Amino acid sequence: MGETKRLVKLDHIQKTFNQNKVLKGVSLEINQSEVISIIGGNGAGKSTLMKILTGVYKADEGSIEINGDKLTNYNPSIAHDKGIYLVPQEPLLFPNMTIEQNLTIGFHKKKQEVREAAKKLIEQLGWNFDLSRYAISLSIAEQQQVEIIKGLLRDSKVLILDEPTSSLTFAETESLFKLIEQLKNAGVGIIYITHRLDEVFQISTHAVILRDGKVTLKGKINEFTKEMLIQGLLPMDSEKDGSHSYEKCSVDRMKEEKILRVQDLCGDGFKNISFDVFKGEVVGVAGLLGAGRTEIAEAIYGITQVKSGKVILNGKDITHFRVKETIESGIAYIPEDRFLNGIFSISSISSNMTAQVIKKQKYFIDKQFEKKITDEYVSRLSIKIGSQDDEIRSLSGGNQQKVVIARILSMNPQLIIMDEPTRGIDAAARSDIYNIITQLKEQGYSILLISSDLEEIERISDRIYVIYRGTCNVCLDLEEINATNVMRAAFGTYKGSENYV
Amino acid sequence: MLKKIPKWNLVLFLILIAEMIIFGLMNPRFWNINVLLNSFNDFIGIAIIAFFVTFVIITGGIDISGGAIIGLTSVVVGILSQVAGLNIWVAVFLAIVVGGLCGLLNGILIAYAKVQAMVITLGGMLLYSGVALVLVGVSGASTYEGISGFSQGFINLANGKLFGIPHSVFIFFALLLFAYILLHRTRYGRYIYLTGINQNSAEYSGIDTRKIITSTYVLSGLSAGVAGVILTSYLGSARADFGAEYLMPILTAVVLGGTLITGGKGGVIGTALASIIVGFLKLGLQMGGIQTQYIGLATGLLLIISVAFLGVPEFKSNVKRLVTIKKDRGGKLNA
Amino acid sequence: MSRLISLAKHREIRTVIFLILLFLIVGIVNPDFVTVANIENAVKNSLLYIVLAAGITFVLLTGEIDISVGGILGLSAAVSGMFLRDGGSIFLAILIAIVIGGVIGLINGLGVTKLRISSFIMTLGMLEIARVVQVIYTNGKWVENLPKTFKEISQSSILGINTLGVIVIIAVILIHFFLVNSRKGRYFAAIGDNQDGAVLIGIPVKRYKVFAFVISGICAAVAGLIFASQIGFISTTAGIGIEMTVIAAAVLGGVSLSGGIGSVIGASVGAIIMSSINSALVFLKVPAFWNSAISGLLLILIVVADVLIVRRANKKANKERLNARVLNYQEGA
Repeated sequence: MGETKRLVKLDHIQKTFNQNKVLKGVSLEINQSEVISIIGGNGAGKSTLMKILTGVYKADEGSIEINGDKLTNYNPSIAHDKGIYLVPQEPLLFPNMTIEQNLTIGFHKKKQEVREAAKKLIEQLGWNFDLSRYAISLSIAEQQQVEIIKGLLRDSKVLILDEPTSSLTFAETESLFKLIEQLKNAGVGIIYITHRLDEVFQISTHAVILRDGKVTLKGKINEFTKEMLIQGLLPMDSEKDGSHSYEKCSVDRMKEEKILRVQDLCGDGFKNISFDVFKGEVVGVAGLLGAGRTEIAEAIYGITQVKSGKVILNGKDITHFRVKETIESGIAYIPEDRFLNGIFSISSISSNMTAQVIKKQKYFIDKQFEKKITDEYVSRLSIKIGSQDDEIRSLSGGNQQKVVIARILSMNPQLIIMDEPTRGIDAAARSDIYNIITQLKEQGYSILLISSDLEEIERISDRIYVIYRGTCNVCLDLEEINATNVMRAAFGTYKGSENYV
Repeated sequence: MLKKIPKWNLVLFLILIAEMIIFGLMNPRFWNINVLLNSFNDFIGIAIIAFFVTFVIITGGIDISGGAIIGLTSVVVGILSQVAGLNIWVAVFLAIVVGGLCGLLNGILIAYAKVQAMVITLGGMLLYSGVALVLVGVSGASTYEGISGFSQGFINLANGKLFGIPHSVFIFFALLLFAYILLHRTRYGRYIYLTGINQNSAEYSGIDTRKIITSTYVLSGLSAGVAGVILTSYLGSARADFGAEYLMPILTAVVLGGTLITGGKGGVIGTALASIIVGFLKLGLQMGGIQTQYIGLATGLLLIISVAFLGVPEFKSNVKRLVTIKKDRGGKLNA
Repeated sequence: MSRLISLAKHREIRTVIFLILLFLIVGIVNPDFVTVANIENAVKNSLLYIVLAAGITFVLLTGEIDISVGGILGLSAAVSGMFLRDGGSIFLAILIAIVIGGVIGLINGLGVTKLRISSFIMTLGMLEIARVVQVIYTNGKWVENLPKTFKEISQSSILGINTLGVIVIIAVILIHFFLVNSRKGRYFAAIGDNQDGAVLIGIPVKRYKVFAFVISGICAAVAGLIFASQIGFISTTAGIGIEMTVIAAAVLGGVSLSGGIGSVIGASVGAIIMSSINSALVFLKVPAFWNSAISGLLLILIVVADVLIVRRANKKANKERLNARVLNYQEGA
């Protein structure tokens, strides 16, 4: 082998959003013919790092070197010229263009050539595409495939794949891996972002573990074992303080009352879902991304429609209630995407907190009442704020989430559905939120916790229902809860559910 | 940021004072309180609509049909009272209801059918002013002279004075107070803001955002109806083209008043101050001997400059917001 | 799914069908409406709108809006009209108009991209300013006595067809191919379709937005020249309110105000519809005062129907996507 050329060098990259330090000095190098897997949990800073590498964000500190040139004034257009291409996790296609137009746009080459190249590539991959379909009609997986083809067509020197397999089928994944192998042999540097450890060993030459904005582990893949990678992903012992103090209890289901009963619920994205939640219990809802957990929660809450089945809260049928009515009858929901569905970013902290509770008042707004409520919850949930009148976007993610929790607590609900409550939140705030959940449980609230974070759901749930492809066949009791069982059930291979695979 | 709005109001207030000093120096007659109070008649229609267009813009929408509704309600008052022979106050009431119905149509199509506000109110603008022309045409009234012959009682509605102060000043402040309380002191007003800042979050919080959005267009339509009645009374005749030139000044008042065109932030006090500023600007330039046509230059510049000025500091935080939204959305799409 | 695709594909075709239906129905009531002379007349009357609509389509595709076209039309017509009246050459007059349109478009574009002013507000302000400058420049007087040679431009014909009409139609077709087929032409729609995606593939978004405004400004100036040549004089109110008609025409022709969707041909057909309604009413012996009400109603009906159809298809697609994930999912289960 000749000398491998260094393609990219990132040096001590730092980046802060809204006082939230996402990257705390990350260095990374990639050479020709390397496949570097970047592994990290939610909010570890992977996506941000990649957006800096592609010029979409500017780093606050640190330098970027490509092909040995140190670059200032870096932007996406330069990144393209230098052959760096990101296949985004969230496909950024042009919905009102055909696949072919999506593939050919922005190319300096002749359309005819590009089309031929695209066809060849698709054939090579063994994928099946009608190039004249409009992007708006593609499934997420298909969109992702188009994005990958887009990147490959560009003869990229460095190809970044951001969790490309998250919505691909097994066969599609296999063909992608073959392709990665080919590209590697052709000298392309590949950065592969993933959650899946098996894939790491299958395709990469190097692994980098990112946790809380720092690189905790870096090196050649053959120096690592899976166990070592997991160690690198886990929080340090010092950060782990009190992590196991969450008291779990198996509620005596003969004695306690059923708060929520879901019977044979069907809707878009799920079918025949049945489960119960008892008083003072934390029930986890586990499953892979896209398994249908959020869809179930939104149907219960009244955002989307239920096709058939029943939702019963305290003996009362609330199946076809609208949001307003489910809130009144005692269900609260903390949405998965805080920015999109949770907060009112340019409104004050206090009006964010009282957005629901003001309903209990007559026509006029009572500022004193708002202040009282805000003060109460700021101290109860120890929310760190400057002034109540500050905009909520000035807070850190964890404190924003606490404001959302305060908002629903002020309505005094009986059942709280939390959908990924700790996504994008730093470690300290995360353990605060776990404490809040445990306290709420002790106070007799029932909690339905939807989470993709294995550690989280394992640690704080009393019982776990696992959703697999829109169905719910597994319920893990307290003594059965462990990472392996949850994982197996999420992949549809838990005992008794094998026949569904 | 809530502190920032009163700050902008203060700036507006200072502009108003500066304006009065400058125009007064150019022509001391400007300092005559009666001249100033009488000038309210000239911009009352703009101000009234602008108060409620502020509501619409805070929800993240826009309403450009107000001017057309003025013409329509003016014609409705004229035809119902002068051609159909109805009691003038019944006609006034019905005309305002018509304004509200126009707003309701806008609102339903925007909130429930989810068509862009700009498209619907543009269509509405053509439709309502078109209906006004049709009504004039069908009733056989002269398009150019309009319908006149209103009773003195009705004429007095806008032209009358109470304690030597024109009625329009009272109407201005009464509606301002109403709009202020509604927007800044009630739960309904809070819902308007929340809906404008993040309609999704508002939905998840159990707010019926579609109803809220529709209601703002109804209010805007009603206010245009009121403005149409007042304008008819003030000028003593009903014409279909009344209000045709109001689009620009209404939006100037709202935007100069500090309301974000993208929604979620703003207030009626700012709109009120801005409409007085624009109104006095017109008066002052006229009294300073500057031709009426030139005034558009001043308002046009004022509009662009104020938005640029308000927009630049906003810009940075907007970018920040976008960036953070994107960051979290990255995960969302997998779900 | 395929229905949605064919729908999106045939947006323009639906508009054309509508136009043909309009002519057929009116033609049944009054056969004089579908004579060659009248159809040519309809195109001639709509030239102005076609040019404006084609220009504004660039801006609308990028997801912005341009309200200032009426003002640009009036100002450029007045300035080059005065130049012509005072004996200037036609070539220079055209150049002057184009420069005026281009400069105002440039200011609009820079205001929108650099100062981050909402394009609606920016161009609304520009509209007002352009009008006032026109009044100042002309001293509030009408521009009359334009040279005969200039007026004849709009009357001349090639092979019995109006010359300007031929030029405009050819130009629209060329622009259409530019926007649909050329690499850079497609950037405009791409920006409005998905701005983040456009940034990602390295499209200079801001620059193309400025281009769009400049093109729209130049088209408005050209429309001003056509206006001056057709009418023969320029009043101080020339082009008042025309921007709303033009936007309505573009929307009618399937151009989306949220950007990314639409074509100049569609917009042009929309423009012909808008201006034909007027003459159709005459042929139907309906008083002209119905014009605006009918246009408004039509616009609302068509746009609402369009939105509802597309939304329904999207909802269905979303449902299918969700249900495809469900294990052993069966339709109707």
